[in-house]
Amino acid sequence: MSTGQVFDLSVTASLENLQKVRQYIDHVGSSLGVNDEAMGDLRLVVDEAVTNVIIHGYGDNDGVVEVHMEAEGDSVIIRIRDHAESFDPSHVNAPKLDTALKDRPFGGMGIFLIKKMTDEAEFLPLGGGGNEIRLVKHGVI
Amino acid sequence: MATLNIMVGQEQGNVPVTVLRVEGDIDAATHKDLQDKAAEVIEKGATHILLDLGGVDYMGSAGFRAIHAVSNMLSDEESSGLSKSPYLKLLNPTDAVARVIKTLGFDVYLDIYQDRSEAVNAF
Repeated sequence: MSTGQVFDLSVTASLENLQKVRQYIDHVGSSLGVNDEAMGDLRLVVDEAVTNVIIHGYGDNDGVVEVHMEAEGDSVIIRIRDHAESFDPSHVNAPKLDTALKDRPFGGMGIFLIKKMTDEAEFLPLGGGGNEIRLVKHGVI
Repeated sequence: MATLNIMVGQEQGNVPVTVLRVEGDIDAATHKDLQDKAAEVIEKGATHILLDLGGVDYMGSAGFRAIHAVSNMLSDEESSGLSKSPYLKLLNPTDAVARVIKTLGFDVYLDIYQDRSEAVNAF
């Protein structure tokens, strides 16, 4: 059953706004009663997802990123929406954790962390252009 | 504009150790500050770096890209394989940062210490 608690944040697609996004997650997470360990995970996955939207989605273009966070039972559902080019994370290789660091390629860590630290992570193209990332973490409230 | 505050200290253990004490959040907006400061001290002759993360409340994958880059700047033929870096070590990460270090497997490459003098003498 949904608690109906929905919070919205809209920021311009600038890396300078990442801190504001993390503060929003902290603020909403604490009012929803999310536990400390999950708060750290949610702050991280949202930062990673929004970073990808800004760098890979919008690139040099201006745009807006919206974040919606709500509770459903003991779960938290976060939606991140943009109007950027589609970004398909299935093309991103996971980091090679068993390779010497100097031989390990850069990149892929953000998507890896998002998948690792959520129970569900969906990357959906929106009908009218843009994308929605839906992140769910269970048992956190 | 988001920036990191990075203080540079010098310690003498078995070798001279440059301590970089970082304060702030290390994200995609700030990680280059760390990379640039490390490049600057390496350019000036630093060969062993202790990265003090005690003042870092948040570090995402961008921070690990920076650490990866710093490790590469310091590495040589001896630092191949999965052995711990003899040139770069981490000090005092918060629980949240330590969790990400482990999730990304960086604890395989980098020693992590809670005590500064123990860390300095480990080089």
